[in-house]
Amino acid sequence: MKQSEMVAQKDYWAKSACKMCIHSCAIRAHVVDGVVVKIEGDPDNPSNRGKLCPKGQAGIHRLYDPHRVKTPLRRTNPEKGIGVDPKWEPISWDEALDTVAEKLKAIREDDPRKLLPAINDFHRIHIWGWGAAFGTPHYFSTVGQYCGAAYHPLNGILDGSFAAINDYNHCKYWIQIGAGDGFSSHLHVAASIKRMADARVERGMKLVVVEPRMSAGAAKADEWLPVRPGTDRAFVLGMVYVLLHEQNVYDAGFMRKHTNGIYLVAPDGNLFRNAETAKPMVWDSAGNTAREYDTEGLNLEDVALEGVYTIEGVEYRPAFQEVKDSLKDHTPERMAEICSIPAETIRRIATEFGEAACIDSTIKINGKEYPYRPAAVNFYRGAIGHFDGGLDSAAMKLINLVIGNIDVPGGHIGVGLDHRLLILKEGKDGMIEPQPHLLHPAYEFAEKPYSYQLMEWYPIGIDPGHLIAENVLNPEKYGFDFQPEALIIEHSNPMWNLSATNKVIEVFKKLKFIVAIDIVLNESTDWADIVLPDLSYLESHLLVCIEPPMVTGHVYRRPVIEPLYDGRDATDILTELAKRIGFLPEWNGLLNFTMFLSEENHLDPDTPYSSLELTDRMAKSIYGQDKGLEWFQEHGHTTRDQTPEEMYLPYAKLGQRIPLYFNFIKEVGDDMAEKMKTAGVEWDTSAYLPVPVWRDHHPLHNTPPEYDLYAFAFKEAQANFSESTTLPWIDEVVSCQPMHLGVMINSKTARNKGIKTGDILKIESPFGEITGRATVGEEVHPECIAISNTISRWSQHPVGKKQRSTHFNKLLPADVKWTCGMTGHLETTARVKLSVISE
Amino acid sequence: MRLGMVIDLKRCVGCQACTVACKAENGTSPGIMYTKVLDQVSGTYPNVRKQFVPVLCNHCRNAPCERVCPTGATHKREDGIVLVDHDKCIGCRACYVACPYNNRIFLKRGKLKEGYYGKKMTPYERAKYPEHQDGIVEKCKFCSHRIDEGLTETSCVQTCPADARIFGNLDDPESKVSRLIRSRGGRQALCEDDTDPSVYYLD
Repeated sequence: MKQSEMVAQKDYWAKSACKMCIHSCAIRAHVVDGVVVKIEGDPDNPSNRGKLCPKGQAGIHRLYDPHRVKTPLRRTNPEKGIGVDPKWEPISWDEALDTVAEKLKAIREDDPRKLLPAINDFHRIHIWGWGAAFGTPHYFSTVGQYCGAAYHPLNGILDGSFAAINDYNHCKYWIQIGAGDGFSSHLHVAASIKRMADARVERGMKLVVVEPRMSAGAAKADEWLPVRPGTDRAFVLGMVYVLLHEQNVYDAGFMRKHTNGIYLVAPDGNLFRNAETAKPMVWDSAGNTAREYDTEGLNLEDVALEGVYTIEGVEYRPAFQEVKDSLKDHTPERMAEICSIPAETIRRIATEFGEAACIDSTIKINGKEYPYRPAAVNFYRGAIGHFDGGLDSAAMKLINLVIGNIDVPGGHIGVGLDHRLLILKEGKDGMIEPQPHLLHPAYEFAEKPYSYQLMEWYPIGIDPGHLIAENVLNPEKYGFDFQPEALIIEHSNPMWNLSATNKVIEVFKKLKFIVAIDIVLNESTDWADIVLPDLSYLESHLLVCIEPPMVTGHVYRRPVIEPLYDGRDATDILTELAKRIGFLPEWNGLLNFTMFLSEENHLDPDTPYSSLELTDRMAKSIYGQDKGLEWFQEHGHTTRDQTPEEMYLPYAKLGQRIPLYFNFIKEVGDDMAEKMKTAGVEWDTSAYLPVPVWRDHHPLHNTPPEYDLYAFAFKEAQANFSESTTLPWIDEVVSCQPMHLGVMINSKTARNKGIKTGDILKIESPFGEITGRATVGEEVHPECIAISNTISRWSQHPVGKKQRSTHFNKLLPADVKWTCGMTGHLETTARVKLSVISE
Repeated sequence: MRLGMVIDLKRCVGCQACTVACKAENGTSPGIMYTKVLDQVSGTYPNVRKQFVPVLCNHCRNAPCERVCPTGATHKREDGIVLVDHDKCIGCRACYVACPYNNRIFLKRGKLKEGYYGKKMTPYERAKYPEHQDGIVEKCKFCSHRIDEGLTETSCVQTCPADARIFGNLDDPESKVSRLIRSRGGRQALCEDDTDPSVYYLD
């Protein structure tokens, strides 16, 4: 139905798409006399089937929040700081846009790098590059710290995926490490809770959850294995050791057919290549000789996975043997010391996992036979948000590779970033092309860095925005010869989301001009000079993706009512600014790329396009000229189940292998080492390893012993990071849940330290201190404290305003030393000491 | 016909979508929850058990609240739903005391004059608060307004992502609720009073 016809009705349900977390479930809103009185999941969508999580239900409060930004605002109080009233004054759009355009135009003409963008709206990835079009390479915000700078690249390197999930439909033994899938977060939780519940209850799938805190998932698991934070890799590598060195359980057929496990590795760790063709070599046991991997007539059964082969005096071994040898000292006993899970437990879980994998079995789906590996390890930010997070991720992939479950029924399934599904291209050496960068193109290396987040020095990483403050405050260290002058924020809260908060405050103080586009004010907008009101998700148009694996397609977000206030769509605001500042052609060029516009829908460089027009063109480009905005206004979505052909063995269809041995990572690391040597920069490239191993020099675990506890932050289904705390219904719900009331501490630890529930604690890390109220209980590892995101805010919004802010990020470092050398992920656990301030 | 609910404790993940969906559907005032999910922790680390237990009015067949109501405000419909008639309730709170499950809420006088943001109500609150009356007792209505419209599910059941709440006719042996109670051994929250709740739990 046309928009004008729809809103003219007295009583109607309008289909749209949620935005109460970074995903976007399909919804329908009930509107009576122009007022939204209920939001439900869209029952016609095969993904969330009418279901919605508490955040989605609470969307009414975001829409009608009286503290929404209603008009453009200008700060009248020149003083800035935490708790300082900006003394906002409403101004007209023209005045606001003129002011912003004038300031930013001057910067762009002087040196565009002096603008810091913080544009991290996950629903509008198409606008993330606004800064790049402006001419600035920075991201003064972080996403990678929360999702996975160390997670996404490893997915992309393995099978061209952005994320991954175990096969809800077929898995029978699911190990979940540091992840909320199926319970609280990630990949459309309103849909995944059902899939997980069906697997657990209807199919009797065994669930083992490895986490330092008893999350919702751990509560529902058959077994909860409390682990020391930042050591999940040790647990997993202990399991790999048991399978490879004690039980000889691995999927040889899979490795031979689908991985580089057969490629010979030279003593220097590089692939052994044919001197003339440069093709990787394998060992043909039948002919007792090395041959090119793609030699015609080569029988894969004869190709060696194990052994040591001497050719002209040099010893070569198949990559699988190399993996095995690299882990020969990773015994469960040694790993148990590191991760605190007993050796006999590691051994038992590995045995169960190996048995459940049903190696060599097959399954018929829609008449086609596939390998059947109904056991898999699923993991996410809790497992990999660490120094050496790249190796953590690689280890989690390795345990899955060992049993041959990558992209097969029952196993570990790649999830695409969008409707394109996995990005699979033929790479070199018969392997798929590694895709570490699905969010934006890689930054070109430079001897002298040009981005404050040093993106050019993390070729496999995702923008380590946490490094910006350090580099702005110490520009001489890497030779930055400019200083930032302005900041543009769009639906992002860098003051809250970046770590080492005190340093971030220093950067905010240096900035001469800050403009923010948002719905409600937050810790960052409190420092702004101009605030521009965006439209809420219930007032705007967009085509948002329902991510695979089980489904794919788009949902059309439409305004369910007329906009309440004088807001404008953020995309329209950024287009208008691009026009006024003078880079509309660059901006339109970027949108052609980020909105997947086909040639016939390409934008004229000098014409500003409305968000509505852009949505129409995007829809037509993806689904055909007959499926533009009008089609979506009639039909709502294109969501459909993914076909087995799309989900299973996609790389094999392309005739390409995936890595068991991550030689790509080693090659990137060797290249970086060489470049940095030439550049004369001291730079640690030791994390670029082809096989994930445990490394004892981890700074977290070598913090001075006076910091005797680990501290980490968490969220559950009630909260999207911390932003949901301004919703009264959410505030009310979390206020009834002990885990969201204070700093969780194990009862035994509390007893030893003389701490009782309700005591006010001082929590000190080597990098900062916070205070918080103790909540003593059983649901946390005795060496840890756990802090809910819901008690972290200090914004001026009256809802959920706590007496104190227990903001975990203040405890974290934010420098290169604490950053994963391979992927740029920050260490997100802190070591702390506690003292009681008052009882 | 006896409408009832089955709550599968194995499926429930404690996400509280039901709690918020109930608030949204019924437009209840601050602090008032017709349903909620309790987080119950037992045992000692590392042998800890955490269970999520949704609670709401049990719509008892033999309802103590109905028995004690002096004005007949609390009454049972033919489909088993226990309701409070706004016009008849005098706010004496006898039912509030009689309910062994603590599932009745007294809406103080003046409570409807303020919304979540104080006296200035949001358009949503202005639309929903007239459905309530202060000075009387409130509770879960098994979404009787939805049932009367011909819908087959309460709001909490409609949204539950885990499908942990199931609604249906307990008198029909072929209904999903009846079959689940039989096959999984559904149990009621029993008490000294022979209440015979219409809400069953599956362990």
